[in-house]
This record gives sequence, structure tokens and C-alpha cells, in this order.
Amino acid sequence: MPEFHLTDSIITQLNAQEPWPDNVKLFQPYEVEQILLPDNASCLAVQAFLKMCNLPFEVEMRWNAEFMSPSGRVPFIKCGAFVVSELEPIVQFAANKGVSLCGKLSTEEKAEMRAYMSLITNVLVNAELYISWVDSETFNAVTKVRNSSVYPWPLGWLQTRAKRNAVIKRLKALHWYEKTIDQVLADVEQCCNSLSQRLGDKDYFFGNSPTPLDALMFGHMRAILMSSGARAGPLIKRITSSLLRHLLRCINVTHMTLTTQEEYLVTQAFQITRRRLSPERTASERSTRMKRSRMSIRNASKDTIHSNSNKTFLVRHICLCKVHFRLV
Amino acid sequence: MGTVHAKSAHGDSVGEVGGGLFEFEEPLEMDDEPISKPTIKLNGVRARVDRVHVDGLNRTKDDIIRSTVDDLFHATDFEDVILRAHKVRRALDAMGCFRDIGVFIDVSSGPGATPEGLEVTFQVRELSRVVGGINTTVSENEGNLVLGVKMPNVLGRGERIAAEYSMGYRSSSNFSVAATKPFPQKPLVPVLTGTVYQQNHEYPWSGYRLLDRGALLDIAFKTSPATHHNVQWEGLVRDTSVLSKTTSFKVRESSGPQMKSILRHVVSVDHRDEAMFPTRGTWVQFTSEVAGLGGGVAHVRTELLAQANRRLARDLVLQAAAALGVLHDVFGTELADHFFLGGPTSLRGFRQRGVGPHCEGQATGGRLYWAAGLHLYAPLPFQGSRTGLASLFRSHLFANAGCLAMPENSGLESLESLKLVRVSVGAGVVVRLGRGARLELNYAVPLRAQPHDVHAPGIQFGVGANFL
Repeated sequence: MPEFHLTDSIITQLNAQEPWPDNVKLFQPYEVEQILLPDNASCLAVQAFLKMCNLPFEVEMRWNAEFMSPSGRVPFIKCGAFVVSELEPIVQFAANKGVSLCGKLSTEEKAEMRAYMSLITNVLVNAELYISWVDSETFNAVTKVRNSSVYPWPLGWLQTRAKRNAVIKRLKALHWYEKTIDQVLADVEQCCNSLSQRLGDKDYFFGNSPTPLDALMFGHMRAILMSSGARAGPLIKRITSSLLRHLLRCINVTHMTLTTQEEYLVTQAFQITRRRLSPERTASERSTRMKRSRMSIRNASKDTIHSNSNKTFLVRHICLCKVHFRLV
Repeated sequence: MGTVHAKSAHGDSVGEVGGGLFEFEEPLEMDDEPISKPTIKLNGVRARVDRVHVDGLNRTKDDIIRSTVDDLFHATDFEDVILRAHKVRRALDAMGCFRDIGVFIDVSSGPGATPEGLEVTFQVRELSRVVGGINTTVSENEGNLVLGVKMPNVLGRGERIAAEYSMGYRSSSNFSVAATKPFPQKPLVPVLTGTVYQQNHEYPWSGYRLLDRGALLDIAFKTSPATHHNVQWEGLVRDTSVLSKTTSFKVRESSGPQMKSILRHVVSVDHRDEAMFPTRGTWVQFTSEVAGLGGGVAHVRTELLAQANRRLARDLVLQAAAALGVLHDVFGTELADHFFLGGPTSLRGFRQRGVGPHCEGQATGGRLYWAAGLHLYAPLPFQGSRTGLASLFRSHLFANAGCLAMPENSGLESLESLKLVRVSVGAGVVVRLGRGARLELNYAVPLRAQPHDVHAPGIQFGVGANFL
């Protein structure tokens, strides 16, 4: 599906220097019933990037966004006559229009930023693809249902099968297909660790203003918090508290709203961290905690999110959490 | 070898298999009575058929042959025998099981022979079990190399399986596998066909590419010798993708896979003497289809094609053709379902799909159209143009008119949009390619066009099976 023409790119280069128009549209799959974890991450990252740049845009959801995109991946933006897909080309496109988040960075910092961005693409994206398409529990419970939701039977089945084969082919080429779920989660953990080490106590990865790397990280963290299925819990556990703080900071900058599930999880996480920091804690509480640097969530709360039958319980929890959230 | 005997001595003979399959053919006796030179009224010579032999049968089943030749036993005079023998020969030929068929008529002899009895022998050669071939086809302005394998007469009753794989020069590959089962004895002579296919199409004029994968079930039958019906069900998955990065966004919006289930009825009445260069007669084809029994597309689509021919002078033929189409969208109808108009075999003088709404130079099609054409055909204007290779050529003068519209609202107001007529005139040369297609080289001048139309005045070259 990807098509590239030299003339196209030259035309893009020449005409792209006009200012950012008001009628820019961002196309992505349906957020509630269709979008999958890896796509959601990249859509949220692009949205966050555009908001960080203060570039106006409108989100338009289409069932065939993936097929409309020139690269075959979501999201893509339509800016006048131009159609640009995925985060990095969009960053480049915005830079051509004179809007850049990494203007203050030195060359080394820019290189470092690219390195971290490719770390995220190499680890988090592949892990998300693995969990969505290879892990049979998530595939059967979430991916299959969501991916085929926009097609009539039996086209949904055919499309899901074709896409699964394509993803498996990609993962095989990258030697990810042979990994076990534990290895994948360990990779995610390592990636999160090194990113939170880089972040440390700072507000953003580079300096005191957001960069495309912040947008990308933010997109992935949110997508993981929004995810569902049997592997969502183990995945969420890998998010460190500094990454969580970073997420909240990005929320403030972009003025995006958290979903109830995200709000609930974030609140839970902060509650636990606070409880952990306070000296009087019971032994039983200590025993439920994960490793020191991890944010941990009690198993009970995690289970409520994944079982649909226990919705009322979840809602009650969320109501409680909202109160807690304001306190935090 | 099968032998069919008529046993009953009376006129109402019923054929039945006599003897054995391995019986030797009775020696042909060559003692024909010398027929006197003066003309004989053949229908005055009383005759009846005693026996029918069919030689050369191998895997073809007897019952189907028996019921085909049955007709011969009803003959009452010699002329009747000849006519019926010819009819049977044609019926055997239409089965598609035999390579060549010879007919011998002889007086009958031996036990059970009646005084005016005749024996009819059909000598047939069956087609081999597998027939392969490589040929080239031309369709909608694309040439293809076709590799084909056919298995005629698989089960002995005219059933055939045909598989085809073709490569187009636009790097598209298509295949189709079709299984056909004729029922020559049933009323209306139905033919049942099941096809599985994959087809690639590229439409640079609209900026998209289609990949169709589907199955087609077809029942063809005849209600009169000239009236041909097809009832079809087609289920397909259509993958639409854009051709380039600069494709207009409107075309881009319709990309993605779609599933379609179509019920179609095609009826055609053909009274012409020939399909490609007719000299007289009319032809009407009416197609109506309903999509939406399953799948993500629902619409009703009807199309009418008509043609009338009239010989003016010895070789001068006047032809009038008309086409009309209406598409009513219920939901999910995309670009590929629309009607398109214009091109070297439809509305000449315009680019392929050049008539009607365009978006950034790319045709987006319409839901209503009409078109008409008037041709005056004559042989090539030189000596000996009526025989040999030159008989494949015709020169013609033509005038085309038509309109394609995409009305916003349905109802009577939409008919207003059909008044924006496009007209073109021109002259050219037509070459017939076999029985099904033709090639045209024309000089066309568009006389009336609308602002967004893409016209192509001057020399135009086109190949097509359907033409206006």
C-alpha cells in the first residue's frame, strides 16, 4: 500500500511552506469500538504533539482510516491538499511550516531524542503488536472483536486473519515472534526503566518544554492505561511513577481529558505511592507491592477492570477515585 | 461406441439402447439406388429412421446422447430426416464434448429393417480430457496474456471445468475457475455455472485500483430462441486502494475493503443477424441488480442497452444505439459502483470516463446516465474490400450524445441534471476482433461539453466489447 513518488515529495516540499490552515483534520479509527492498542498509542501521540504545538485540528473517525492513509498506518492528517501519516512525517511537516518543538535542542540532544524515539518504536510498538496479535488471550478477547467490528460477516474474519498474518510476518522478521510473553514484558519493563531514568525528576525529557518524544511517550502510556484484556494488568504494572507524573504533566499541557479507566488507574497508583511513602504501613500492604521502582496496583482493582460482569463495582470505584483524584 | 435402435414398427418410436456397446458397426452398404437426375421432391419420399448409430463415444454418457438423437425417430419423410439430423448435429456440437461430427444417412438393412427405413450414423471425436491454451485478450483498454486449462465433458454429460490465469501489462494478475453444468433436456435449456475469481482493475482516470475476489453463481436459460436470461448471485470482497499520493481526497475516502452480495438478472433479446457488424435487427439488454443481501453495500442498479440496425443500400448500414442507467443507493455505495461515461468506445471525443463530475481531474462517476449513438457503416472505400481480410474492417461516421449526473436529491429534480447534453461527432475505422470485441480508430470532435468534462478531441483509439 505505501506509495512514494519523487515528484510527490518535491511538490510536498515546495508547497508545504504556507502557514498552518484552520481546517486540518486528523483521521483515525473509531476510538470506542475499533481502535487497537498500537494504533491508539500512535493516534494519541500525534494528537498530543499537535496540541503541544498549539496547532488547531479536528479529529475525524473513519472505519477505513487505515486504508485511506498513504502509508497504510494511522493516524494521518489532511492539511489542504496534503495527506501526511504517522508521527515523524507529521513532525517534519509541521517543521516545514515553521512549527517545531525541538528548536531549542542542540544537535546532540536531537540525536538523543531520536534514539529514544526509536527505542519506543522498537520496543513498545512491537510489544503492543505482540500482545494484540500474537498473545492468544488478548487476540481472542479484544483484538478479534474490535478489528472485525466495522466489517460485515465474514469479511471481518478475513480481514482480521490477513492483518494478523501481516503483523506476525513483521514480528518474525524482527525476531519478536519467538519471544514469550514474559520476555516481552521484561523488554517493556527495561524500556520503561531506561526512559524513567532519563526523565528522572524533570518535567520533560529535554529541558522544560515538551518535545515529540514527550508526545510519543505520552501516547503510549495513555494507550496502555486505556487497554483491556488479560495482558493489560501486567503491562500497566511496568509503568513507573515518574512516567506517570510525566503523563499528568502532559495532560495539563495538552488539555486532553482522561477516560474514567485512566483516571481510576492513575488515582489508584498515586494512592499506593503515597501510602508506600508514609511510614505507618502494614506488613500485608507491603507484601502486595511489586518492586520498589514500580508503581503497583492491587490485584483486586485490576481484576475489576477486566471483568465486564463486575461493572457496577468498577463504577463505584471510579466514583470514589474521582474524589481521591481531586485530593491528589 | 453406442448404438441406438428403433424397435417399434410404428411411428411413435422410442429410442433405447440395443445391442452392446462393443458391437461392431454394421458395414455400410454402398449400393445406393441410382438417383435420377431430375429433381426429386425430398419431402415426398416417405422415410423413417430405423436405427441411429453414434460412433466414437468414449466417456460421454449414453442417456444424454439418446435423448439428443431421439428427435430423429419422429421423422416422416426424407427431407425431415435431413433437417432433423442437422438439428441433432448442432445439438451435439453445442454440448461442447466433440471435436468434429460427421453424419451419414443410409438405407437400413439386416433384421428388423423396414422397407422405407433409414440408418443414421453420427461419427464423433471426443475432445481430449484436458485442453490447455495460451492466448491474449483485450478488455477495457488493457491487454492480457491468458493461460487457460479446460477440462471438457468431465463427467460425461457436457460438464466442464475451466481455469484461467492472466497477467496484464499493468502488472495485474487475475484468475478464475469456472465449473459449468448444462441441462440440455430440461425445459428452457438451463446452464448452471459456478465461478471463483480474483480480478485486478486499475482506473487511472479515477485514481483507484480494485482487487475483487469473489464467487459467482449463474443460471442461464432461454425462454425463446432469441431471448436469453441470466440469473446470477455474486458475492465479492472488493479492495479499493488509491493509485498515488496525489489522488484526490474524495477518491481516497472510498478506499478500504468492502463486501458486496449482488442478485442480478440479465435479459437480452437479440434479433440481429450478427453481433459485431450486424446489417439488420434489434438487440436489447436489460440488467437489474440488487445488492445488500448481506455485505456492506446496498443499492439497486438498472441498466438498459439497446441497438437497432437497418440496411440502407447494398453495404450501407445505419445503426442506432442507446444506453440508460440508474443507480439508487441505500447505503455504502462507493465510487466503484457508480456509472461512468466517456471514452473511445462510448461517448467518443471525451477521455475515458471524461464525462460527468470530476474531483481534481479524477472522475468520480454518477448515479444517472443516458447515452446514444448513431453510426453509418460502410466497407472500406477501395476495391475488394468485401472479401478476405478487408471484410473485417468497416469505416463509419458517427454522432454520440449523452449525459452523466450525480444528482444531490432524488426525484424529479434529478432529471433536470440529465439535460446537460454532451455531443460529439467524427469518423473512423472499425476492426472486428473475433466475435466478441472490436477495435476503433476514430477522429472525433466534441461539439458540446460541460466545464468539468475532460475532452479528447482528435485521434482516439479504443478497444472494447461493448460500444455505443
